[in-house]
Amino acid sequence: MSGRGRYLAGKAAWAVVVVFVVITFNFFLFRVLPGDPAKAGAKDPRLSQASIAALTERFGLDKPTFLNLEPGASPFDSQYFAYLGALSRGDLGMSYAYRDEQVSDLLGEALVNTIWLILPAQLLSIVTGTILGLVAAWRRGTVLDVVSLTFSLFMWSLPTFFLAILLLVFGSSYLDLPTAGRSTIGAEYASLWDELYDVGRHLLMPTLAFTLVLLGEYMLIMRSSVLDVFSEDYILTAKAKGLSTFRIIRDHALRNAMLPMVTLIALNLAFTVSGAIQVEQVFSWPGLGDLTVNAISERDYPVLQGAFVLIAVAVVVANFLADMVYGWLDPRVTQT
Amino acid sequence: MPEPVAVVRDVSVAFQGSRSLLDALRLRPAPPIRAVDGVSFSVLPGEVLAIVGESGSGKTTTANLLLGLLPASEGSVALEGRELGRLSRRELARMRRSVQMIFQDPYESLNPRMRVGDIVAEPLRVHRLLRSASEIRARVREALEEAGLTPVDAYLRRLPFELSGGQRQRVAIAAALAMRPRLLVADEPVSMLDVSIRAEVLNLLRALADEHDIAVVMITHDLSTVAAYADRIAVMYLGRIVETGDARTVLTDPQHPYTRALRSVVPIPDPSARRRPVILAGETPDPSRIPSGCRFHPRCPVAFDRCRTVDPPLFDLGGGHEAACLLVGPDAPGTAPADGGAPEAIRES
Amino acid sequence: MTALVEVSAPTPSASARLSWRRLLQRPMGVIGGGMLLLALLAAVAAPFISPYDPYAPARVTVFDIFQPPSGAHLLGTDDSGKDILSSLFYGARISLLVGFAAAAITTVIGGLVGIVAGYRGGRIGIGLMSITDFFLVIPEIALQIVIVAIAGQSLLNIILVIGLLGWASTARLVRSQTLSVRERKFVLRARAIGAGDAHILRRHVVPAVLPLMIANTVLVVSLAILSESTLAFIGLGDPTVISWGGMLNHAFNRSAITAGAWWALIPPGFAIVWVVLGTTLLGTALEDALNPRLKRHHLERERSLLRRGGEAFLRRGSLAPGPAAPVLEVRNLTVEFDSPGGPLRAVDDVSFDLYRGETLGLVGESGCGKTTTILGLLRLLPPGGHVVGGTVRYGDDDLLALEPAEMRSIRWARLSLVFQGAMNALNPVRPVGDQVAEAIRIHEPRAGRREATRRAEQLLERVGIGRARYRDYAHQYSGGMRQRAMIALALACRPDVIMADEPTTALDVMIQAQILELLSELSGEMGMSVVLVTHDLGVVAQTCDRLVVMYGGRVAEQGATAQVFASPQHPYTQRLLGSFPDLAHPERRLEGIAGTPPRLDAMPPGCPFEPRCAFAFDRCREEVPPLYPAGDGQVASCFLLDPRAPSTASTAGAPNA
Repeated sequence: MSGRGRYLAGKAAWAVVVVFVVITFNFFLFRVLPGDPAKAGAKDPRLSQASIAALTERFGLDKPTFLNLEPGASPFDSQYFAYLGALSRGDLGMSYAYRDEQVSDLLGEALVNTIWLILPAQLLSIVTGTILGLVAAWRRGTVLDVVSLTFSLFMWSLPTFFLAILLLVFGSSYLDLPTAGRSTIGAEYASLWDELYDVGRHLLMPTLAFTLVLLGEYMLIMRSSVLDVFSEDYILTAKAKGLSTFRIIRDHALRNAMLPMVTLIALNLAFTVSGAIQVEQVFSWPGLGDLTVNAISERDYPVLQGAFVLIAVAVVVANFLADMVYGWLDPRVTQT
Repeated sequence: MPEPVAVVRDVSVAFQGSRSLLDALRLRPAPPIRAVDGVSFSVLPGEVLAIVGESGSGKTTTANLLLGLLPASEGSVALEGRELGRLSRRELARMRRSVQMIFQDPYESLNPRMRVGDIVAEPLRVHRLLRSASEIRARVREALEEAGLTPVDAYLRRLPFELSGGQRQRVAIAAALAMRPRLLVADEPVSMLDVSIRAEVLNLLRALADEHDIAVVMITHDLSTVAAYADRIAVMYLGRIVETGDARTVLTDPQHPYTRALRSVVPIPDPSARRRPVILAGETPDPSRIPSGCRFHPRCPVAFDRCRTVDPPLFDLGGGHEAACLLVGPDAPGTAPADGGAPEAIRES
Repeated sequence: MTALVEVSAPTPSASARLSWRRLLQRPMGVIGGGMLLLALLAAVAAPFISPYDPYAPARVTVFDIFQPPSGAHLLGTDDSGKDILSSLFYGARISLLVGFAAAAITTVIGGLVGIVAGYRGGRIGIGLMSITDFFLVIPEIALQIVIVAIAGQSLLNIILVIGLLGWASTARLVRSQTLSVRERKFVLRARAIGAGDAHILRRHVVPAVLPLMIANTVLVVSLAILSESTLAFIGLGDPTVISWGGMLNHAFNRSAITAGAWWALIPPGFAIVWVVLGTTLLGTALEDALNPRLKRHHLERERSLLRRGGEAFLRRGSLAPGPAAPVLEVRNLTVEFDSPGGPLRAVDDVSFDLYRGETLGLVGESGCGKTTTILGLLRLLPPGGHVVGGTVRYGDDDLLALEPAEMRSIRWARLSLVFQGAMNALNPVRPVGDQVAEAIRIHEPRAGRREATRRAEQLLERVGIGRARYRDYAHQYSGGMRQRAMIALALACRPDVIMADEPTTALDVMIQAQILELLSELSGEMGMSVVLVTHDLGVVAQTCDRLVVMYGGRVAEQGATAQVFASPQHPYTQRLLGSFPDLAHPERRLEGIAGTPPRLDAMPPGCPFEPRCAFAFDRCREEVPPLYPAGDGQVASCFLLDPRAPSTASTAGAPNA
């Protein structure tokens, strides 16, 4: 197997292991914790009798937890394997709070909304953070550097929800932007453009909040990474070769300086989830975070459980993607 | 004839090579790497033995063997007549007191947070050799004096970064001397130092051998630095000793083609010197891929057919001079190059 | 970079010691520490400075709710009529308690896991790191939410959840630090002494890791405070205590915005910012104080060079004219480095010529300014270094006076460089061959991509690497091959001059011989001039036509190699030759030179060699000796060569036997 193939196979194997552990952990978490919420939930008065019966059947709630050790029974005839089986079919159970709705449907809808929120903000903050960090490092010590450094440290210290509140107030009072939801309730759109315009107005401040929160950290990391790279010997070689500063940065510095950034972006995905929960909460954005927080107050365990698995798997997959990018950027990890 | 301090007999050291995670998952063993392969030598008290070789020759592994840091896979290492492999942990720890090591890099090998006095006292404390603080203090002062760091009071409380390279190497030597060692293993003791201060460290090591009867094993890649300081030389190539003997003899009349090549490329500070360096092509092979027959044959300028298949032992050339080359063996083809003139190069270098 | 080492030689590695002085030198640390201290004071003194007790049950009427700031309530009241200022003081207790307690848990677990994983390595290490990586990947907040929601919203649970889930990044940091300490030579030395693991951990590893752990803990405190406030804001705080996040949750959910009660939102928000910013600043400053990084780099703007008036050629010495016009004419080159104590002169008034096709040796001990000289004349000094005087004549140009763009077109095309450590001088993420082709394409834009590739392949072939390894990366080459690649790169544009800075240091003798032979062969083939920077007199004797001996940033002696070796005039040259081993005379004991070269910040006022010189007399202590001619183009900077020198000294200073 080539170096690159081996590297990717190793990372993929690791991702699969993590996903499996997360799924298992998720199963036991809801059974080990006090009160056995999974079982208690199935008796939730909000569910119809038929739903309870269906749930008990689907998830084997009357069966042993992990292995079925009763004589004659298959050892895999247990709650855990029923859970795995259901999961493999994408079945996450039924919501308690939203009467009899499938958790997977709820999550799917919320996920789309969250991606709408996260993706533009991530892209925007990565691009601006990279550029700002690069320029700040290059013009180290100038006013621009000091200002962006101070700004970044301040942004880093600002709780996401507080920034979101500030932007919410600012947007609604000065720009007349909507304060909640993903589109105006009950609105009829004359055209697709009208609809996009409306969604855009709802999206503007949440995206801004998210971008600003991520921007500070990206800028700080990029700046220090660029400073490191700029003092490497191969930059001196490039300079001695007669390359212009622009070419040195583009052809020799950028790729090396991006390496810590890729690692950070991957590690930051967990942090992004936290940000999404807060921003969605403040702007009542109907995404995963909002769904999760509502599930907490409603004690809607299937939704909570499903959201946890979905978020964890998404982060693991994104991490794997980041590893792939890293392997592509840095031949040292794949070519030996 | 005094008892040798250290006797190394037919020692081999094999490492497990590194393997990838995937191979580990498949429980596939890594190929062994023979870093040292059938090496024998001994050192007498008061003698300086230089082990000379390039990187990958196994000289550092040999040093670790003498220190008991590595077990021998085959063969035996004996210090003061006691075989290391047969000692219990406790006895081994006791044995280690009499073997001390000097490292290559005096900038790195001293803990930047410890003061000179503590560095020199550390081995004493580790081995609980001396009980009372005053005894330790007296021994530390004595060792610093022997290492030439006087006045002692000016050095005791200093931190390594306040010292020059030569002084740091003296601190390392003092720490070794505090244990009253019988054997001192010096791994490239001067290669990181400026030329102008190498002499003082080398002179100090020589004096320790002469005056305290300490056996010194000096490990180096540089033939020229050991020339005036070693009694005997052992030249290593790819885990083997290929030539050994009295230092003067090996330097002036080398018999192994590798020693000759090595000697011929050492720069001589004399612009008028006429010499024809034998520059070997390529690099020392990876110890995980040792060539068949004589391990030097792929790079040897005078190799012939038999070298590819026969692994030559060390042939005795008289006066303790030995070389592992078929050309000096009893069945050497044609004229053995005893006159110093190499036979026609069979392979272009 | 050798040049950097030379400059920072005075106090290189006192680092990694936690010192108050160094922390206090950083405004970030002082401001951050002050902010945190104030918050701590407010938390401790809350019962005494709060105007009201927010925990006391109170009868609330509608008129008490969301009161704007007034004399009675300096920051107004909240949705339940409580005094916001008092809640703020009491809230500090919760934030700081959670922050410090969770950080303590994190540090203990992360520290232990990191040290064990880093020090033990092997299976245990891999196992621990797999667990750590797992916790790094799964989103902390999701787990926190789930666990707190199910296990109950008590303060203890919150602390435990934040602490127990946050240790992974600390473990990672501590592990990598432990790993690097474990590989340090002083740990190997301790092991060679026979020290056990307990001793090595206690005396060597933990003291080296601890300072960084402390700095990290401070940063973790700020993260824990943020986590706590986030949990409280989304309604998972402990409802029985007053926390800033909880205050914001209440205000936000009970329509403070619609009520226009900004005072219920802004103060707790900025209280969080205050504490988090304070701890972040303090932690960052601590990290920086422990691990001061060079904050300067190679792409900084060049400081405008000294205005040179009339030529100062041969101001102090007399260089005999050579056989032909030199390719490169360096006159009075002077280089200084910035330092906190004022500029340090690393190269002082250095002049030499380089003729076509010759190899010139630049010799001296480390720290004598060899590397700085060549980097200075190429205007490639490391950050903080500046050429402050002199001229470098190349053709009709003074290199030091050229515009940056003009200088760029000369670099490499005319004057190229072979660096000491080829590993670092080659870009790790680009194929080696590409880097050679790049040089061709820059200076010969007409060559085109294919032509440049073809020529780069030829060059790799010529230096013995082979075109098959064109697309390989530097880390896949051996040390010798990297140096060959560096030579191929230097030859790419067939320059007039190659400057080779210790091209063979750290290589094995045989590889050294290969590289030197390659260099002299190719420079001969192409008719190039070579400046060879080295400390090895043997190499000079065998490869250089002429040599310049440097000491303390100055030229001590220069002349034809044969002549200088036969009759060295400067006492330093004499002693240097005396300390160099010679295989042709194995019986000769080396002498060495007592003492060390002068530090840049403690240059003697007179001759730099005076403190180590056996022949020094009064004048050497007061005046800097000029270069005196010593026949046939040989010059030496020593008062013994002054015709008026004291006779006793001049006999003593005669060429050594």
